[in-house]
Amino acid sequence: MQTVPIVQTAELCKTFKDFWRRPHVEAVKDLSLEIRPGEVFGLLGPNGSGKTTTIKMLLGLLYPTRGRISVFGKPPSDVAVKGRIGFLPEESYLYRFLVAHETLDYYGRLFRLPSSVRRERTDRLLDMVGLRHEAKRRVGEYSKGMARRIGLAQALINDPEFLILDEPTSGLDPIGARQIKDVIRDLGRKGKTILLSSHILADVEDVCDRVTILYGGQQQAAGDISDLLRKTDTTQINAPALEDRTIAQIRELVQRLERKDILDVTNPRVSLEDFFLRIVEEAQAKNIQTSGARGGGEIPEFLQQPTESITHDVVESLVMASSVKVEPAAVETLVNDKSDQERTRQLINDLMGGAAEEKEEMEVTEVQPHRAESSEPSSTETARPRSADAGVIERLLDGGRDGEGDSETES
Amino acid sequence: MKLALVFVGFIVLVVLGLPFSIQGDSSLTGAVQSFMQYGLTATGFLLSLLTIFMSRSLADELVGRQIFLLMTKPLPRWQYVAGKWVGITVLNTSFLFGSGLTIYVMVHYIKNTHPPIDEVFDQASLDKEVLVARHALPYQPPDFLRPAKQEYERNLEEGLYENTPEITARSETARLTKKYEARWRVVGPSEKRVFEFENVLCDRSTGKEVQIRYKTEVTRYPPDEVFRGLWMAGDAAKGTPVYRIPVRHVVGRFHGVRIPADAVAEDNTLTVFFSNENPFKDEPQYNNVIEFRKSNDLELLFVVGSFEWNLVRLLVLMLCKLMFLAAVALLLTTVFSFPVACLASFTIYVLAGTRSFILESCDFASADQAGMFTSPREFFIQLVMHLYHTVHWVIPDFGRYDAIESFVNGRNVGLVWVLQGVFWLVLVKTALVLGSAMLLFHRREVAEVSV
Repeated sequence: MQTVPIVQTAELCKTFKDFWRRPHVEAVKDLSLEIRPGEVFGLLGPNGSGKTTTIKMLLGLLYPTRGRISVFGKPPSDVAVKGRIGFLPEESYLYRFLVAHETLDYYGRLFRLPSSVRRERTDRLLDMVGLRHEAKRRVGEYSKGMARRIGLAQALINDPEFLILDEPTSGLDPIGARQIKDVIRDLGRKGKTILLSSHILADVEDVCDRVTILYGGQQQAAGDISDLLRKTDTTQINAPALEDRTIAQIRELVQRLERKDILDVTNPRVSLEDFFLRIVEEAQAKNIQTSGARGGGEIPEFLQQPTESITHDVVESLVMASSVKVEPAAVETLVNDKSDQERTRQLINDLMGGAAEEKEEMEVTEVQPHRAESSEPSSTETARPRSADAGVIERLLDGGRDGEGDSETES
Repeated sequence: MKLALVFVGFIVLVVLGLPFSIQGDSSLTGAVQSFMQYGLTATGFLLSLLTIFMSRSLADELVGRQIFLLMTKPLPRWQYVAGKWVGITVLNTSFLFGSGLTIYVMVHYIKNTHPPIDEVFDQASLDKEVLVARHALPYQPPDFLRPAKQEYERNLEEGLYENTPEITARSETARLTKKYEARWRVVGPSEKRVFEFENVLCDRSTGKEVQIRYKTEVTRYPPDEVFRGLWMAGDAAKGTPVYRIPVRHVVGRFHGVRIPADAVAEDNTLTVFFSNENPFKDEPQYNNVIEFRKSNDLELLFVVGSFEWNLVRLLVLMLCKLMFLAAVALLLTTVFSFPVACLASFTIYVLAGTRSFILESCDFASADQAGMFTSPREFFIQLVMHLYHTVHWVIPDFGRYDAIESFVNGRNVGLVWVLQGVFWLVLVKTALVLGSAMLLFHRREVAEVSV
């Protein structure tokens, strides 16, 4: 089914001029991109690569020197379009003399939201960003991270269909960064379209479905993040701690079946982010006082409503399904994958002579399924496992039966 | 906000402090007039500065980039600029009318606490000539052109110009017109001069008064600098009483002669005579020639409204100027940085306030019929004049709508005057400038990067 892109640019260029109106800096060159409804799209690039300039053109704050640009099929300057967008700029350009509550109420007024709706959304959003207890403080007194949280809250006050986040985690502590990423993930799951601009690679990797990498104002790479990041020449198996003897047997098995050496066997480390968050959670459990932001709350209900376009897509899909033969769905694939997992586990059990049966169940990381098909992670889930491929294990299994092997894997 | 408070503090200081520091000419009337003159002028000036500085709110949002959030909300840009203007105007309105109320209260404070020079004259002068709204009906001198043309025709028929070909009809008629006018404006000893006023739409009931305001010069100053004369008002032929009012006035100053309002005839005309004779038989007679100069023509003043409403109308005219200034400041802020916009706005404020003066000065300084390139001085003067004429259609003449002096002298700030101010200053020029500001801001890249 063909859906109308939320954002479409074609050969977009932006040249900044000097005082005498002579072309001086070419910030964006021939950028063509498309953001589809419901996806979390990452705009990645080093400083000065044209990310923010592109976003400003999408918002009508800058006009393209050349090329075409449309948001919701209309020019970015269209006022009606702006009612469907939420924007968090790279710095929170808020009024220092307003308190948090007034800030959200003010921006809510610009969307002509009724006062009861504004009041309710303001409270919910302050809860979400963990600043309810600081709602009466002037924004000018906030730390940078707290201001970013209010900035995010104002971007969501209109329950936007399309959310543009420019460096959303900049200035945030790891807890705040994690919370913002959780929020982005959750909003994405609820059907919001999100454009995330960042030079923090982990942020983009954690939450985005597709990315475009800019350098020197030009698009250098683009595609699904899982495709771009998959290392097809290496296999990773995650398992509970194994005995040296078992590891040696696995090495032998791999050598025998694949004629390849296992490159590295180590105990994986927990990430510093996870470790830090655990320490802070323990401190919070002890009720240690802080004047800063506290843990964020749940995403407000009003943001969880499916957007109109998503609903429309679902209805269209149902109509199509009744008349057109549909290819095997992703769910079926997932089931097949699960049967593969079962077989793999059985194989490894056999290899280990049943020793592992008494241990915890072995975990084999499968290829990351598409976000829309995954089960919902909790707000405190750990980083997703990477670089593993159930298909490789299957090949390994088949290779063992057939006694065939491939050429050596390059390290 | 702090800036506004500083200016309000200044205004309060001026308005509340002036009554205790200004004495005027030591009369009660003088004290009240001086206070109103300085208080209103200072208020107007400070609010004009405040208006220019308040446009900083737009500049600050551009520099502080709050505009990024505002312009990504469903807020049309023209509404943003209009909102800024409305905000400045609302603040100006509240400050201006707050100042007006304070001035009104302080006028009554001075009236009740300042000792009058004399209970009858000073107090009455304040009540009847200052704290009122009087319409000023200027006297229209007779038509001197017609007798001048008639004399020229006569002279021409008699051949008086046959030997003087350089005399043209135009120059000779102008000369004769001036001669007739000069002859009419002087009143020799024992001579009389009649002044007739029409459309005197005053209240003619008993106890009401009208006033003749005039100033005379004399050909030879009397030793005591006082001339003595007799004014008569009324027309017996039209059934009105005729009043004799002997005067003893200092030469070269404006004076008022109060006349009972029933001297005005039913057809709303008033006939006034001036007789150059000494009605005070015990005082010396200097037989002087008295002159009513063109620049100080007579006026007939009569009450048409209250002091309070006059004050309100004055404030409305002042507000019209502030509205225009706010639009100018916003227009310049959409284009330039705040310091440049501030300086340019202030320049326009000064130009608008001194428009007539500048044009007259340039006109005076420029030699008649001189070409633009005859000298560097002439080039500069004519360049200024050309530039000024180019922009004068959009820069209003603030002097034309400056009603403070009229108000202080108890003159009526007429509704027509106010409506003209509203029309030209607000509906035409402010709308034009504000529309330009909206257009420029609409086309502007608010995230423009200068490199």
